Amino acid sequence: MEPRVRHFVRNSEKALADRQLQVALSRTTGKFLENRAAAVAEFPRFEGARESASRIRQEALDNLDAHLARFITEARKRGAVVHAARDGPEAREIAARIAKEEGVSLAVKSKSMIAEEVGLNGALEADGVEVVETDLGEYIIQLAGEPPSHIIAPAIHKTREDVSRLFEEKLGEPYTEEIPALTRIARRRLRDKFFSAQMGISGANFLCADTGSVVLVTNEGNGRMVATLPRVHMVIAGIDKVIPRLADLPVLLSLLPRSATGQALSSYVSVLTGTKRAGDAEGPERLHIILLDNGRTGILQGKYREILKCIRCGACINVCPVFQSVGGHAYGWVYPGPVGSVLAPLILGLPESSPLPNASTLCGACGEVCPVKIPIPGMLVELRGDEREQGLKTPAEVLGMKAYASVMSRAGILEAFQRVAGVVSALLFKERKIEWLPFAFSGWTERRDFPAPAPQPFRKLWKRQRGIRPWTR
Amino acid sequence: MRQTAELLDRVRAALRGRTVAEPGLPYVAPREPGAPGSAQGRIDLFRRKFEALGGTFLAGPAAESVIPALGELLRAEGVTALFFPEEDPASRSLADALVPCGPFLLVSPADIRQAEPPVSAGIQSAEFAIAESGTIVQTSRGGTSLWPGLASDVHVCLLSPDRFLDGMEDCLEALSGDPPRSISLITGPSRTADIELTLTMGVHGPRRVIAVLPSS
Repeated sequence: MEPRVRHFVRNSEKALADRQLQVALSRTTGKFLENRAAAVAEFPRFEGARESASRIRQEALDNLDAHLARFITEARKRGAVVHAARDGPEAREIAARIAKEEGVSLAVKSKSMIAEEVGLNGALEADGVEVVETDLGEYIIQLAGEPPSHIIAPAIHKTREDVSRLFEEKLGEPYTEEIPALTRIARRRLRDKFFSAQMGISGANFLCADTGSVVLVTNEGNGRMVATLPRVHMVIAGIDKVIPRLADLPVLLSLLPRSATGQALSSYVSVLTGTKRAGDAEGPERLHIILLDNGRTGILQGKYREILKCIRCGACINVCPVFQSVGGHAYGWVYPGPVGSVLAPLILGLPESSPLPNASTLCGACGEVCPVKIPIPGMLVELRGDEREQGLKTPAEVLGMKAYASVMSRAGILEAFQRVAGVVSALLFKERKIEWLPFAFSGWTERRDFPAPAPQPFRKLWKRQRGIRPWTR
Repeated sequence: MRQTAELLDRVRAALRGRTVAEPGLPYVAPREPGAPGSAQGRIDLFRRKFEALGGTFLAGPAAESVIPALGELLRAEGVTALFFPEEDPASRSLADALVPCGPFLLVSPADIRQAEPPVSAGIQSAEFAIAESGTIVQTSRGGTSLWPGLASDVHVCLLSPDRFLDGMEDCLEALSGDPPRSISLITGPSRTADIELTLTMGVHGPRRVIAVLPSS
């Protein structure tokens, strides 16, 4: 997927004006939050599991060399061919080579964000391989020729009416607004593809180092079909997906579905270990696992290592007020929301994705819901600091922030400033709002009013009430 | 080989001078208070969880209650064809017993492998049942086929009372060491919420799951 992260502001303006999108978002974002909250409330061990999971993921990363080496050895021992790709182009090249060598003309694919990250489908299609998305959401957006807008529900930006018109136009199916009928169309259309494809493509939710197993979590059941029916199974996964032990799964799986969709457990968890064995009824004869770096070793080295703990549940995305307003496409890359605002600068480079660390109100909700306790809000602040260090802030912004910091860190100056502002405000802004600000601040007042300074600052009220000065240094 | 060696070198270089915060192991979440200890407790909890997921649980004497009730459910779902793995004698005899409750046709898995298959029930013995989550476990051990749960409209899982486990931990422990090629944890029917987050059953897999525990 071609990144368009730089255009976040313009994309957001478009998204806010897109009535269809706003309808779709209003029908969905609240449901995600309600479902998660209910699932967490029903699971008293949630906090304990979060602590365990955070430690499992941290330990996996701190010793990633050993765990990754073990995974490669164990997977190979059980018949898998393990490949390593340094970046997107290398992953595409490996995938295309595998398809060619295995004589693949049709591939069925289970939803994989990492495949979107490297643009896998395009590489295979360029070589004449038909790639069919089998996750319902992915199938919809593949028909529409669009990228996913959410890592869990890729077609969340589409209403049932949109989907119906799409099926009518692309598949010649009769128009219906019944969601079960739309689902049945996809089932019928995709069935034959599962049976005739030579290769199945999937990502991995986890890679277990001690057994060389690939773990797939799905609700529709397409993941296990993709991994069972075709002769070849190709897995593409980031190196960050490794967990030390198969025995770590129960804790991680107690959090992933609850955080993602509010289910205690997803309908299907498949633990896949190696190729078809003698006596097995079915299974792929060939298993290729592509391990993708694409900037991850760089992240591992630096101060943002913890972002690699992410298990891609999407909880931070759902809870983010910015995502709720603009949807996923505005972010311009495969990972939207807070996790994307951290990952995009680290993988694509900060200059390429500079608006994203600022696409947050810093309300802290993403950090609160993260099942593996990634300090996302702190990382966003840190990235804003990096932006400044790399000269990506405008001089006006740097100067403004400096002035702000110097006032805020001196109680006397702040007090004097507030007194003057209070008097001026009482004289000029009777409505208690400022409708126009000059220069660097004009962006704020273009679309909303700025609250006028209060005639009586809080500090003064507090002092009168309690007879003390707050925060004196 | 060269590529993976290079990858490992890069990872090692990235971790140079590392400090490992918490190597403490193992990470096992504590059990919920009141977890069942007895066999019957596990069955009861499984039933509760399984039914909460929309599953149907049938227990009792096979000939008098389970088979007639199952036959009626399958007819109500519009099932016309039954299939089962060849190597699974228990599911074969259940299918045979169901035929008179039909009209049901016994078909081979190959008959399901077509674009417009009959409405089918896939019958299969489950390897384990996990009480805590209402999960059915199927593995590829002993040449067991995944077919009945993969592509049928209704999945019928034959349980036996000694195969109920407390939690997923117990299941993975029983299968670790040299895990079979495929372990499937099945929790409820195939479902999607990809259109407007509206829950819909039966996308690629079964729209209904029935667990059967016949008493002898």
